[in-house]
Amino acid sequence: MSAVPLLGPYDDDDVLAWQKGRAVTCGQFLAQVEILSGLLPEPPAVINLTENRYCFLAGFAAALIRGQTTLLPPGRSPQALSQIARLYPDSYCLSDGAAGAPGLPFFSLPDLHQSAAARMPIPIIPAAQTAAVVFTSGSTGQPRPNVKTWGALTIVARHTAVRLGLGAGEKISIVATVPHAHMYGLETSIMLPTQHGWGLHAGRPLFAEDVRSTLAQVPPRRVLVTTPLHMRACIGSALRFPELELVLSATAPLSMDMAREAEELFLAPVQEIYGFAEAGSVAMRHTTATHAWRLLDGLSLEQGAADCCVQADYLPRPIPLPDRITPRGAQEFVLHGRGGDVVNIGGHRASLGDLTLRLNEIEGVEDGVFFAPDERDTGNARLIAFVVAPERSTAQILSALRNAIDPVFVPRPLYRVASLPRNETGKLTRESLLGLVQACRARFSDGGP
Amino acid sequence: MSPLEIEVARLIVQTLNLDIDPAHISPDDPLFREGLGLDSIDALELSLAVARCYGYHLRSDDPDITATFSSLRALCKSIEKYRTK
Repeated sequence: MSAVPLLGPYDDDDVLAWQKGRAVTCGQFLAQVEILSGLLPEPPAVINLTENRYCFLAGFAAALIRGQTTLLPPGRSPQALSQIARLYPDSYCLSDGAAGAPGLPFFSLPDLHQSAAARMPIPIIPAAQTAAVVFTSGSTGQPRPNVKTWGALTIVARHTAVRLGLGAGEKISIVATVPHAHMYGLETSIMLPTQHGWGLHAGRPLFAEDVRSTLAQVPPRRVLVTTPLHMRACIGSALRFPELELVLSATAPLSMDMAREAEELFLAPVQEIYGFAEAGSVAMRHTTATHAWRLLDGLSLEQGAADCCVQADYLPRPIPLPDRITPRGAQEFVLHGRGGDVVNIGGHRASLGDLTLRLNEIEGVEDGVFFAPDERDTGNARLIAFVVAPERSTAQILSALRNAIDPVFVPRPLYRVASLPRNETGKLTRESLLGLVQACRARFSDGGP
Repeated sequence: MSPLEIEVARLIVQTLNLDIDPAHISPDDPLFREGLGLDSIDALELSLAVARCYGYHLRSDDPDITATFSSLRALCKSIEKYRTK
């Protein structure tokens, strides 16, 4: 496999996307991408910041044709973007509205809708080409790059469809509540549909009523790509949803109860994907039928020196799993929860070490630490932070943090303390921090922050 | 604060596990980013609570949605206008 087409089996008139109330055919898309690829600036790497899913896809495809690598930052904070800009000084930002990264050239996506459809062949992309670099926040304060070749992205898309039992060229419509610029969204809402000749909706519905109305805008067979947080809102809404073929969930494990409620609501099977940015989608399960996760084809588990790793021909090396698991035979495992330092809120993963580092980098902060009081991985339990910063107000520190880290990790609450309960070796134990939480809560309920 | 504002302030604090006294929420302060510092995960949780308590389903494509979420007072005005229970 030395090269793979940009798109799966579409006819020119097949709908590739629904964008702002109208259908975009494959022929129109190819014509637009052809024009766009000629307009893109020269640098070899592009930070694709487009908010609209179709605009993202057009930018991603045009970059692929030009041989440019799409960079996907871990968040949109000014600091995250500056760090990527420092790592890739020879890059530019592509945007459909929001501002770019400081110090980098900025290219605003032109209006592509005027271009006529043309009969043109689907471009072929070398499998070894670096299609994307997905960044994760590292424990050293520097974002870590995870290189995704075009070949690897297309293989995972194919294996995912096989496991779902959905074929190339079938009439499938994808609606996704997840962002396209993270690994899960890139794989399921961009690669999966476009490699199989399916249609995708350009929107990103948030509230239950948004999900309902967006699903109603696309024809059956509808697939909803979502998360436990969105599903909970749908279940609680008591709304009636259009007929679905399938629901795909990821970012945090679903409880059996919620999977059952979701299947009763949507009248469709709920399949879960387990994955992480470093390896992409790794395993799936039909939650109401089985507790164990089954690896996607081509992947295997191996016990590394310290951690359990996944390995595949398309991965650069064995990748340690960020969660604790027990293998069950060669192809299945049971998931127990997050590994020591990793936290997951709404699908955003970060290391507590990295967050703590960022907190301590803030001017006026003498000591500080992030803490996850809840060991369960519920997907929406927020973090606590303690800070020693006599000269700074809580508001000042929170404001500095919002610029430095993904906002979902901004602590709730942030407690200002006189000192941290470090032991003789300078370490903070979980017990001592739990004690500090209790002391701070008691102090708070007495009136003072 | 009006009785509805007091009620919704309590709902926000309870739903989002905020460590603040509902009475200390200033009705005109922003709910998101600065102010209470809420984000889209909170918006989702809050939409669910509002749908359950008042039968009002928030929509992102509602042109008034930014205004609705701008403050406790604005949210209460929308609830008053669209509530079905």
